[in-house]
Amino acid sequence: MDNADMQRFLQQEQQKAMMGEMVGKLTSVCWDKCITGTPGSKFTSGESTCLTNCAQRFLDMTMIIAKRFEMQ
Amino acid sequence: MDSFSSPSRSSSGSTPNPEVVMEQIKEQLAQAYAQEFLETVGTKCFDKCVTKPGSSLSGSEGSCISRCVDRYIEATGIVSRALFSAGPQR
Repeated sequence: MDNADMQRFLQQEQQKAMMGEMVGKLTSVCWDKCITGTPGSKFTSGESTCLTNCAQRFLDMTMIIAKRFEMQ
Repeated sequence: MDSFSSPSRSSSGSTPNPEVVMEQIKEQLAQAYAQEFLETVGTKCFDKCVTKPGSSLSGSEGSCISRCVDRYIEATGIVSRALFSAGPQR
């Protein structure tokens, strides 16, 4: 266990934390968009498809925004 | 993983064992994550299930909350899969 190991560990944890944060944020946003009624004992297929689409479209949007700023 | 090579310790305080530090970091991150998750789920499910707060939580509100928590956990899984695996719906 040396400094480089610790550095690597911290980087990994930081990345995990970032991913977790992203999932949390997107779940919150997509929940609001997709789950309009009271939650049932199962998601309808429409709801789960909406959640999947919502998360993936958010990624697409992030790319577009990133590109938009690259062009300047 | 190699252990600490130098057995010498400073008198002012022992050097923290990196393995212990790493465990503590992981624990604290997990705790922070759980706390944030609970807070979010609470907000979301209160919105959905307790639309008109009465003098006590009704049975139907209670069952709505437990369904809501289950669905929120499920939604987190769906979103996570949508992001991190090249999903079939892509």
